[in-house]
Amino acid sequence: MTAERSDNVATLRENNPEVVEALSRRYGAGFITDIETDSLPPGLNEDIIRALSALKEEPEWMTEWRLEAYRHWLTMPMPDWAKLKLSPIDFQAISYYAAPKNRPKSLDEVDPKLLETYDKLGVPLHERARLAGVAVDAVFDSVSVGTTFRKELAEAGVIFCSMSEAIKEHPELVREYLGTVVPTGDNYFAALNSAVFSDGSFVFIPKGVRCPMELSTYFRINAGHTGQFERTLIIAEDEAYVSYLEGCTAPMRDENQLHAAVVELVALEKASIKYSTVQNWYPGDENGVGGIYNFVTKRGDCRGDDSKISWTQVETGSAITWKYPSCVLRGDRSVGEFYSVALTHHHQQADTGTKMIHVGKGTRSKIVSKGISAGKSSNAYRGLVKVEKGAEGARNYTQCDSLLIGKTCGAHTFPYMEVKNSTAIVEHEATTSKISDDQLFYCRARGLDEENAVSMIVDGFCKQVFRELPMEFAVEAKKLLEVSLEGAVG
Amino acid sequence: MASPFVEAQAERAPDVLARLPGAGLPWLDALRREQLEAFVREGLPGARNEAWKYTALRALERRAFLTGDAEAAARAVDISDFVLPGVDGPRLVFVHGVFRADLSSLDALPEGLRLHPLSQALVEDAEPLRFFLSRGGEQAADAFTRLNAALAGDGMVLRVAQGARIDAPVHLVQIGTPADEDLAWHARNIVELGEDASLTLIEHHVGTGPHKHLGTQVSDIVLHARAKLAWIGLQEAADGALLMRRDRVRLDANAHARVHAMELGGSLVRRELDAELRGEGARLDTRGVFLPGGRQHLDTRLDIRHVAKHTATDALWRGVADQRGRGVFHGAITVAEGADGADAALSNKNLLLSPHAEIDTQPVLEIYADEVMAAHGATVGQLDERALFYLRSRGLPAVAARTLLTLAFCRAALDDLDHEALCEHLGERLAERLPGGETAA
Repeated sequence: MTAERSDNVATLRENNPEVVEALSRRYGAGFITDIETDSLPPGLNEDIIRALSALKEEPEWMTEWRLEAYRHWLTMPMPDWAKLKLSPIDFQAISYYAAPKNRPKSLDEVDPKLLETYDKLGVPLHERARLAGVAVDAVFDSVSVGTTFRKELAEAGVIFCSMSEAIKEHPELVREYLGTVVPTGDNYFAALNSAVFSDGSFVFIPKGVRCPMELSTYFRINAGHTGQFERTLIIAEDEAYVSYLEGCTAPMRDENQLHAAVVELVALEKASIKYSTVQNWYPGDENGVGGIYNFVTKRGDCRGDDSKISWTQVETGSAITWKYPSCVLRGDRSVGEFYSVALTHHHQQADTGTKMIHVGKGTRSKIVSKGISAGKSSNAYRGLVKVEKGAEGARNYTQCDSLLIGKTCGAHTFPYMEVKNSTAIVEHEATTSKISDDQLFYCRARGLDEENAVSMIVDGFCKQVFRELPMEFAVEAKKLLEVSLEGAVG
Repeated sequence: MASPFVEAQAERAPDVLARLPGAGLPWLDALRREQLEAFVREGLPGARNEAWKYTALRALERRAFLTGDAEAAARAVDISDFVLPGVDGPRLVFVHGVFRADLSSLDALPEGLRLHPLSQALVEDAEPLRFFLSRGGEQAADAFTRLNAALAGDGMVLRVAQGARIDAPVHLVQIGTPADEDLAWHARNIVELGEDASLTLIEHHVGTGPHKHLGTQVSDIVLHARAKLAWIGLQEAADGALLMRRDRVRLDANAHARVHAMELGGSLVRRELDAELRGEGARLDTRGVFLPGGRQHLDTRLDIRHVAKHTATDALWRGVADQRGRGVFHGAITVAEGADGADAALSNKNLLLSPHAEIDTQPVLEIYADEVMAAHGATVGQLDERALFYLRSRGLPAVAARTLLTLAFCRAALDDLDHEALCEHLGERLAERLPGGETAA
């Protein structure tokens, strides 16, 4: 971009209030729902954890499990290797539980204000859900407020409910699998989550069942001074299949709210899990004030032979994203996939990537990561491909591309490759460049304005990942990118 | 509690410091003491240090080395151990880090070339070296650079005058040879090319018989505007030798460095190349190959920083790991804010020849500017079965076919080496090291 042109844009901004408004219109999900909540006082200690566990009427083993995680967490230092710029997190200032006061017994009793919230966010909870054909579990602050399509799912033998319910109704399944993929002491934030997780989704697909519809969870942080710590556990038994979607939003606030989730996936023999995320937490304003700190541990365990776990993520929100959805490929011929688009603007920082751990024979993994940085943001891919000694014939292909929009952003690539088997093939390719003037000129010569041209080029850049998303999400993701990039050019 | 390694170095240090060339100069004494204290205080980097993630120093920590070699001047070394075909110009030879005039060749230096051992420069006129030698404490310093800054008393000082083009390659030889004890030696090199100057430098590490010495070497290389340096490194240290090197290269405007490296010898070897492209139009090309076999651990670490506009890097490295060998490669390219027009490419391809070998590779890009073309690629795999089949269908025995393909894979790192005789010699050395190479060659 020439200096002259950017001057023009600056003058345009000064003289044209509509443009200014358009530029500041960004985060559509930033409203607050005025609803009464029950919450625990801020602070973190063993009493709080006991109180939280009691509130949720959990069995003794669960309380002990939490306390053990908490004690482990106390011994761990906050990790600093990602070189993130963040203000210190005061874990004592956070309220670890907030729930709407009028807890519904069934979806029909859900507070109309809540329904309105989800309507505004475009999440179908009621009759619209039937049309959309997606089963939704909606998590509002710390608790699940409703899960749709229960009957239909139950007929197929699928269990889809909130984690709290699962602990009460299916304790044997929860005990068997919880913490087996991400152990309580796995890392700092996973330990914290294990101690204080409030709710989340639980999915169990029995042997041979192909889940009749897509499952979806919608996470919403509403209350101030709270953190959201959800825990998701998905189990696909032999030859089962499920596609799971996750979306998230939060109001605009000046404080940095903490979101530290743990997601565990277990795929048994010939099972397949597809996990898609559109993450649109509040990213903070253009000066980097506020926004969600998103520290998430997601890991899938391909336990059975011929199993498959596929992660797709579109990360546009959060002030800080720190997230590495990983696959442990233990079963022979198991497959891991990771498709990611991460967009950062203003002062956002994203440090995201994946780990593919090849343990079984003939395991395959594919990584496609697209990073787009604009404004003063920083966007890093950090990934590990590890081939253990016994992983005969393991195969990995990794492609990481970064697109730079603007002179003050950063785009980084930190891949690690550790290969201990001489029959394995591991390939990594990465490029970093800006949108070329030729591409822009071509689009503009066809009558597109600069913003639309950039949007179109970015869309093309991300296509490989969007293709992996279920249809509704792909449309949403595309729109999100457009909105998030507004004001990035010029 | 200091480790045996650190203790052994610290214990004998006062005595060593008093006898080092340059001892008695107040600034140098203060600097050496300061660096030694920092080394003792911080010790060796541990496993949690990201820069040493793949190179464990636990075994080294338990070993004690005798610093300096009082008999270095008398050790028998045959000139045929290090002579290279087509390289018969100026030569500086060090045994255990100590200058050996009897093996060196410093007569009739071409005009514009000043070349002498550091030990001599420190005694005669140390002041011009003060700037370089004071550079020990920079942020990237680690245990070995500190130890080197404290205890190195010899090395090469090379200066090329402005505009001088030196045709004959300069041959720098570091020799390790059997001794009664395990020795630690430290060498410090300073190379400065004036504006428009050009030079070919051959850095050669040789082992003449079994030993387990530890060598450290720190080189500072400055290329002023439009200077050209061709720098070829051949590392064939003894099988048991340990070698830790750090090369710091600074390139001014339109300077061009071409760095070739062949890492063959040693048991635990690390080479760090820190390059700063700080003048507009500066360019760095680097080609290299590392061949860990036996139980060798060969670690190469490139850290290339584009600071000025229109700078370029082209890095192509190959690794072949056999038996229980382990190859470690880290190739980081940073494009700083404002370094627009940077063009950076890095490729690291590796072959694993044995079920017990390991390769750990990490190409890194850190980009803070937007008018940039940056790309890197890394692979770990095997020879192409179809290519093998083709060669065998032409009548080549399987072993010969494998050797031929592996050799071709490695030779990519020798491409564009101008020195024909040397290129041929390096190709032969490669062939000898490869499995089945002795029979096929």
